[in-house]
Amino acid sequence: MADKNTALIQGTLDMLILKTLALEAMHAHGIGLRIEQISQGVFLVNPGSLFPALKRLERAGWLDSEWRSTENSRRAKYYVLTSAGRKQLKSETRDWKTQSVAIARILEA
Amino acid sequence: MNIFRNVTAGLKELMRRNKSESELSEELKAYVQDAAEAKVRAGATPEEALRSARLEVGGIETVKHQVRAVGWEFVLEVLVQDVRYGVRMLFKSPLFTAVALTTIAIGIGANTAMFSLVDAILLRPLPYPDPHRLIVVGTNQLGASTMSPMGTADFLGWRDRQQSFEQVALFDGAGGSFALSGMGAPERIPGVRVSANFFSIFGVAPIKGRGFHPGEDNPGVPGVAVISEQFWRDHLDSDPNVLNRTLTLDGKQYTIVGVMPAGFQFPPREPVNVWAIRTLNPATSRPPFGLHAFGRLKLGISVRQAAAELDDIVAQVNVEYPSSPPLAGVVTPMKEWMVSEVSTALLVLLGAIGLLLLIAVVNVANLLLARATVRQREVALRMALGASRKRVVRQLLTESAVLSLLGGVVGLLLAYVAVRAFLSFGPGQMPRLNEVGINSGVLLFTFVICVGSGILFGLAPALETSRPALSDPLKDTNRSSSSASAHRTHRALLVFQVGLALLLMISSGLLIRSFVRLSDVSPGVQPDHVITAAISLSNKYDEPQIGQFWRQFLEKVQAQPGVKSAGITMSLAPNLLAITNPFTVEGQGYDPHRKLQLAEEMSVSPDYFRALQIPLIKGRFFSPSDRVEGEKDPMIVIINETMAKQHFGSKDPIGGRIQTGDPDPRSPWETIVGVVGDVKYSGLEYGPRPTIYVPYNENGWVGWSRAMYLVVRSSGNAQQIVPAIRAQLASMDDTLPLARVRTMDELLDESLTQQRFRTWLISGFAALALLLSAIGIYALISYSVSQRTREIGVRVALGAQRSNVLSMVLKEGLKLLLFGLLLGWIGALGATRVMRSLLYSTSATDAVSFVATSITLILVALLACYIPARRATKVDPMVALRYE
Repeated sequence: MADKNTALIQGTLDMLILKTLALEAMHAHGIGLRIEQISQGVFLVNPGSLFPALKRLERAGWLDSEWRSTENSRRAKYYVLTSAGRKQLKSETRDWKTQSVAIARILEA
Repeated sequence: MNIFRNVTAGLKELMRRNKSESELSEELKAYVQDAAEAKVRAGATPEEALRSARLEVGGIETVKHQVRAVGWEFVLEVLVQDVRYGVRMLFKSPLFTAVALTTIAIGIGANTAMFSLVDAILLRPLPYPDPHRLIVVGTNQLGASTMSPMGTADFLGWRDRQQSFEQVALFDGAGGSFALSGMGAPERIPGVRVSANFFSIFGVAPIKGRGFHPGEDNPGVPGVAVISEQFWRDHLDSDPNVLNRTLTLDGKQYTIVGVMPAGFQFPPREPVNVWAIRTLNPATSRPPFGLHAFGRLKLGISVRQAAAELDDIVAQVNVEYPSSPPLAGVVTPMKEWMVSEVSTALLVLLGAIGLLLLIAVVNVANLLLARATVRQREVALRMALGASRKRVVRQLLTESAVLSLLGGVVGLLLAYVAVRAFLSFGPGQMPRLNEVGINSGVLLFTFVICVGSGILFGLAPALETSRPALSDPLKDTNRSSSSASAHRTHRALLVFQVGLALLLMISSGLLIRSFVRLSDVSPGVQPDHVITAAISLSNKYDEPQIGQFWRQFLEKVQAQPGVKSAGITMSLAPNLLAITNPFTVEGQGYDPHRKLQLAEEMSVSPDYFRALQIPLIKGRFFSPSDRVEGEKDPMIVIINETMAKQHFGSKDPIGGRIQTGDPDPRSPWETIVGVVGDVKYSGLEYGPRPTIYVPYNENGWVGWSRAMYLVVRSSGNAQQIVPAIRAQLASMDDTLPLARVRTMDELLDESLTQQRFRTWLISGFAALALLLSAIGIYALISYSVSQRTREIGVRVALGAQRSNVLSMVLKEGLKLLLFGLLLGWIGALGATRVMRSLLYSTSATDAVSFVATSITLILVALLACYIPARRATKVDPMVALRYE
């Protein structure tokens, strides 16, 4: 099953993951679910994009991970936002806002 | 992004690959379970939920692959995987691998060996500090292009007036060895006389003692010498108190003041044992010219400035010596001066060996292409399973890179052996051989040509194999469209290969013809049964004693049983010329600006001509009665045929008169008493030049007749009389060594060492090239026959005769061959021009070489076609048709 919106701008998924983890540590499925719920089903996150993105963010030092047991007492890999990740999220959010305002202006002109 | 973190994370990942793999599996499993549970909560049955969750994830392996591909270490892993796979594939077809590896190893080994020579001799800077500031200077006749050594007048004038050089020095070109006595049996050791600044110019420090002090080359200063480390070890047992010991060289005492390290070798040809000081007496005349001068430029002074200054100084010397023909100054960077003689030959050899590598590469490419058809199924399968073309090409190229690197390793071993062999058995007379070796630069070269040839021979087959034609190869038919195009590439490469091979063969043909002609050149003497040796009288003999010594010695040698005739000479055929001298024929006038005419001039004993059987053409030989002691010299000469023809024409030269030395009416007249046949003294490759012989004991010459060659003709084996000669010499003076004992045949042989060596080498390359191309043709035609088995079967079934089939296959080969020949001819016409300077009386477009090598190639190629063609005629139509 593909992403609903395949034209998701490169890097947008990264930002959404960071944002999702800004609230609390989560495992992969939880992250996908949360993005789907909050976007009210607009973004369906494919594991084929999700897992590489998680590894990429971890490699960049924006995420940390640890194995914890879940609410139904299974082991799962939880991802936690690092302080570098928090900073990255802030700057990405700022950039995104600037851009989207600009794009909106152009479209409404 | 933090690079350091990225690198360490990648490395960590590589290290604990298994752990991270299992973690990823577990994580993905958990994800599927979570997804399934979520769907159950949404109302699906557990089975349905699991199924749709799995569907959602897609292939677990695909996801894993995508995750792995995030890190940089993935590229490395793929490479390792490809290399592993490549090695496995090579092991799977050992015959192919053996042939391909051998071919590459020979190509790369030969190139590495040759490059290590070119690198050491031509490319690397000289092993001295600031080597580009070392400049050799000399003089030559106005308008001449080569550099000749200087005379004392020019050197002293230059040394005292020049401003461009920090220091200047010289070494004396005469001699090249010393008679060492007083240390056991007398012997000749390689050595050279040099001026005081010699060592300080190079900036190489002695390992013991010192170099020469300024002023030690002035007249009246006691003699000093510096020895080589090898001499110190071999002759003086590495005596720690070697300094201040004395050496007797040519009968004169020298004090040892220093020991030079082993790596220091200058002049560059033969290793020098002793550098003795060259005393510089003020000049009385401009000739003789034998001093090789050089200097270290001051910082910021260009070669051109130094040349202009030298020209001015030489022009002043011209004025100071008005009777001498005017000279011009010449300067050359020292490295050029050292290597210019061998650079053409080396570069031609390197080019030839490069061609050989190309031929080898084409052969391997064709082998790979033939294999490509076999591999096409495998590759098509991989592409059908989702591999991209890029990925497949990368994998196939990795395979050929593995092949070429393995070949390179074997080649490097071959090169090491070849270089060792070259240094021990090759022509030793080459500059800078002591610097030759396989160093990091050479290794880099080898690596680059390995990778380069890997890509060259791998690319066409890889592109061919991965041509996206999915259905055909999987159906296992022999007539796929892509195999037709592979065949086209195959043929084009073959044409190219045949062309290259022909180019090499023509080059070798030219060299062989030139060499045969050179070996056939008559030296002008009868070389059989002649032994020669060098004897040099020390300074304790004054002029009358020299004449006396030789007369007595020759009488004693002559009296030995088995000796037919014995003589002495200053210069020896075929290339041991000592001096040339200007001359004036009576009636010619004394214009100092007339074109300088030079003759090879040498002093000889009366029996010299008989000993070498040089034919008398007119007049008479010298006779012992020509000079009676105490009487005035009659001043007589013998000239050679060329001089008689050039300067007397139809007139009878006997009784004619000449003067030698710079044109000067006051010079004494010398009367011609005989004309003898031409003898080569400057090398077999040079045309005849005027030669003047004078009696060794004539007053003006006896002082020059210190260092002479003895020539003895015997009735039996020439070697057998050497002990008797040695005994006679010792009976007269036991400090004199009998040096450089050679038969005349050996001398002739040695004079062609370089030419013989390069002829053999290129011919070896050409033979290899021919062999490789023959294999290439054979492989192509065999392959083509096997591809057309069915077609041939149909033809035979329809009534084609064996001869039809044979000619059909041969025609295919012949067509390619002709294109290849054409290519080779065009290449050869363009390329052999660079060889012109290596050829002796052979044109670079010599028709015989072109035709003979082409015919050889055609015959060998036809044979290579004929074997598979015959196989084609034996095709059984029933078997061929059932094959489908």
